[in-house]
Amino acid sequence: MKSRVIANLLGTVSITVRGKSVTSFINALAAERIVIWNVRAISEDRVQLNIMLGDFYRLRPILKKTSCRMHVEKRMGFPFVLKRIIRRKLFAVGIFLFFVILYIMSSLVWDIEVKGNVKLTTETVLKAAKEEGIYPFQWVFRLKEQDKLSRELTQKLPGSSWVGVSVHGTRITIQVVEATIPEQPPLLSPRHIIAKSDAVVTQIFAEQGRPVVQKNTRVKKGSILISGILGDEGNQKLVVAKGVVKGLVWHEYLIEVPTTQKYKSYTGEQKERGYLVLGNIAIQLTGYGKLSFDKYETVTNRDSLTWRNIKLPVGWMTEKVMEMQMTEDKVTDAEARAKGLEQARKDVIIKNGKDSRIVSEKILHEKKDNGKVYMKVLFEVEENISEELPLVHN
Amino acid sequence: MSRISRKLRKWTTDVLDVPQDIVFDLPRLTLIGNRQLYIENHRGVIHFSSEQLILAVTEGKLLVAGKELIIRAILPEEVFIEGIISDIQYEGKGNIG
Repeated sequence: MKSRVIANLLGTVSITVRGKSVTSFINALAAERIVIWNVRAISEDRVQLNIMLGDFYRLRPILKKTSCRMHVEKRMGFPFVLKRIIRRKLFAVGIFLFFVILYIMSSLVWDIEVKGNVKLTTETVLKAAKEEGIYPFQWVFRLKEQDKLSRELTQKLPGSSWVGVSVHGTRITIQVVEATIPEQPPLLSPRHIIAKSDAVVTQIFAEQGRPVVQKNTRVKKGSILISGILGDEGNQKLVVAKGVVKGLVWHEYLIEVPTTQKYKSYTGEQKERGYLVLGNIAIQLTGYGKLSFDKYETVTNRDSLTWRNIKLPVGWMTEKVMEMQMTEDKVTDAEARAKGLEQARKDVIIKNGKDSRIVSEKILHEKKDNGKVYMKVLFEVEENISEELPLVHN
Repeated sequence: MSRISRKLRKWTTDVLDVPQDIVFDLPRLTLIGNRQLYIENHRGVIHFSSEQLILAVTEGKLLVAGKELIIRAILPEEVFIEGIISDIQYEGKGNIG
């Protein structure tokens, strides 16, 4: 017996055979090597059996020979299904159309996704893509090759260093990698570099422009150090003067330092007061009684009840009253002087920039009066003396 | 088959120890429980109903009795029967030995 699958594919027929010598009919079939199966005897002269569709047309001579009659009971298998389908044409057309539409739909571009763009807007990318033939409801097979697309898109999008195009079914992903453009230096108008104060030039470095002064030149406040005008009178060009000019500058400082110094300190004695806060009213609840000390500081700490970021007008306030002590320290003149100088040096550095350097210092005058030390100090500082002066055309 | 040739064959099978169905065209039956019966070397169907199947075999008849008998497949020399088999009977015409 052949396998059931093949039999179904080729088609099988179930027939009943009627006649006086049914057995001889079966014998004849066997002799002709016609495959039959599931032979059932229904009654004395009636037999039902299954036969391949291909063998069906070979039955007629055998039936005649054995004087039997047959009747087809059932048709099974693919050829009969096919026949039925052919009969129902519209249905078949529907199935066919379904697959055709499915195929057409799946070969359209439905969705375009743009990824990785920060400065470029999605619209500009999509616009460039449309010019390259990537747009919704475009045929997938009409798209150019991916490497070509990505190359052309990269050219079309200024500010992108690479654009990748990948097709996943009906979705196209455009991956943009933006180029990092170096920051533009701020635009400056032509200018001179002039001296900020009277000084002796110690160092001059002109990055752009014409240096006018040299090292060890004495300059006045406002005199040009690096000129922004290049060339002679007839042939000149204005540039942005740039550079570093350092010079020695004298600063006079008046310093006064008290010889007694007061400190504040806590003794450790403290008292706490508790308040219940309702709106703007605080009701003291704890910490009644007289204070055992007279000099004190209070630290208040207020806790409001909150409920989900909303502050409620009800809260608790604690007040810490801490005893305070003032102590006085006598300082010797030498210490006071050293302290004053130290403060003045720091002040010089802060005022004139970090790259400034104190070259020398000299106490010009010193006196002691009313518990204070007064000093007049001259600092010689090497500092940046450059200042910008815009060139204005008349 | 003449008497002499039959004797010769009998002698060969005895001497060479060959199964007799090959030499004498005798039917070979394979019975699986009482459900399936596989018969080789038959000589055609004589009678077939759902209770009884009579097969012609060399020098005799083979009667198979049972219920709901079905011929699952039939070839010129082989029959494959399915059903509830209750009885297998051999009706020999003569002495095959």
